[in-house]
Amino acid sequence: MLATTLALFSSIVSFAPILQSSAPGITGSAGAAIAVGLAALGAGIAERGIGAAAVGAVAEDDDMFGRGLIFTVLPETLVILALVTIFVV
Amino acid sequence: MSAARGTANYEYVTSRVRSRGASLFDADDYRKLVRMGPGEIARFMEETEYEAEMNALGSRFEGVDLIEYALNRNLAKHFDDLLNWADGALYDYVARYLRKFDAWNVKTAFRGIYSDADPSEIEDDLITAGELSETLLSRLVDAGSIEEAVDLLDGTLFADALDEAYELYEQESLLVPLENAVDRAYYADLMANLPSEPNRAEELYLQFLRAEIDFRNLRNALRISRSGADIDPVEFYIDGGRLFDAATLRQLASNPDELVARVRESVYGDELDATLDELAEADDLIAFEHALDAALLSYSDTLSNRYPLSVCPVLAYVLAKEREVDNVRAIARGREAGLDPEEIETELVIA
Repeated sequence: MLATTLALFSSIVSFAPILQSSAPGITGSAGAAIAVGLAALGAGIAERGIGAAAVGAVAEDDDMFGRGLIFTVLPETLVILALVTIFVV
Repeated sequence: MSAARGTANYEYVTSRVRSRGASLFDADDYRKLVRMGPGEIARFMEETEYEAEMNALGSRFEGVDLIEYALNRNLAKHFDDLLNWADGALYDYVARYLRKFDAWNVKTAFRGIYSDADPSEIEDDLITAGELSETLLSRLVDAGSIEEAVDLLDGTLFADALDEAYELYEQESLLVPLENAVDRAYYADLMANLPSEPNRAEELYLQFLRAEIDFRNLRNALRISRSGADIDPVEFYIDGGRLFDAATLRQLASNPDELVARVRESVYGDELDATLDELAEADDLIAFEHALDAALLSYSDTLSNRYPLSVCPVLAYVLAKEREVDNVRAIARGREAGLDPEEIETELVIA
């Protein structure tokens, strides 16, 4: 019983400085990293469908390769725009 | 059959299907085709996507037979492809829908046996796009009697319905009950085992099928009411549409005007308005039936444009491909019989 109380108390003590410090939990560069990561995730999800459709179109008609490729990488612009945040912070 | 794993790959399948749909014959091609003789049609088809079939069969057959075999083989090839591409729920929907060709084959076999046709002649009319194996089909056409054929179909989805209908057949020795049983079993299977609260994909699948069933019921009702024959329309009624239930259909079939008014108010009103006007003017039921087919095609196109990532474009393609095969066959047979281009044009269904 005493041991648990002690452990609890010591953990509160060790967290206290973080909770009380005025620095943000997520720094600017970490926030930018998360932004880019989420943007890349979104682009990946979008490309999944477009890529499947593009492969289907290319399978039917080879001339569609260029157009299919362009449409497939179109969501990639999301990531490029999200990269801007790196330079802003 | 429905053991396909994975999620439905709508993107891949619809883009392939749309590409194939774009290479179907359009109104211009048909205008050229109706002015050609059978030999010219065959040569024209060699330059289109029927090339492989025409080359494969060209040495064995000629003339209209060649065209017909090439059409059937091409149809089967495309629909097999659909099943190869589709995954998950989409595979399940397409497989169910393509059993339409099983129903067609079974009915063809029955009719052939009933009319004592030569087995090889019956076999020519089969379309091997369904689920029934070729072994079963060839045993079916070789069957000596209807009873034998019904026994052979034991274990398929038609078995139960056929067993019941066979008693009626024995009493009346008419094929109608058997054919209706096959159709009903097919449509019942289409709608079977869907959850009571369908999700979006299942709802679209249902919407497409309901439209098809409605159009079928409508056509049957009009045929019966026009022919004036004393037939109970409920015998031909297919359950599952949203336009009619059995009771209203019986009531409306005796009253064509009310039937037409009812359709005009329905969801298909927009697609069918022009067609219904035509029907009111001309008493030509065949022209109306073709217009009905065209309206179903355009409704299926509407659905597939409205819901691009669904089963609708795939089923719309199946419908359109079937129509194309029917059209080309009609042209070839019509030219062989020496019909005028204008006459043949009235036989075509062009959306």
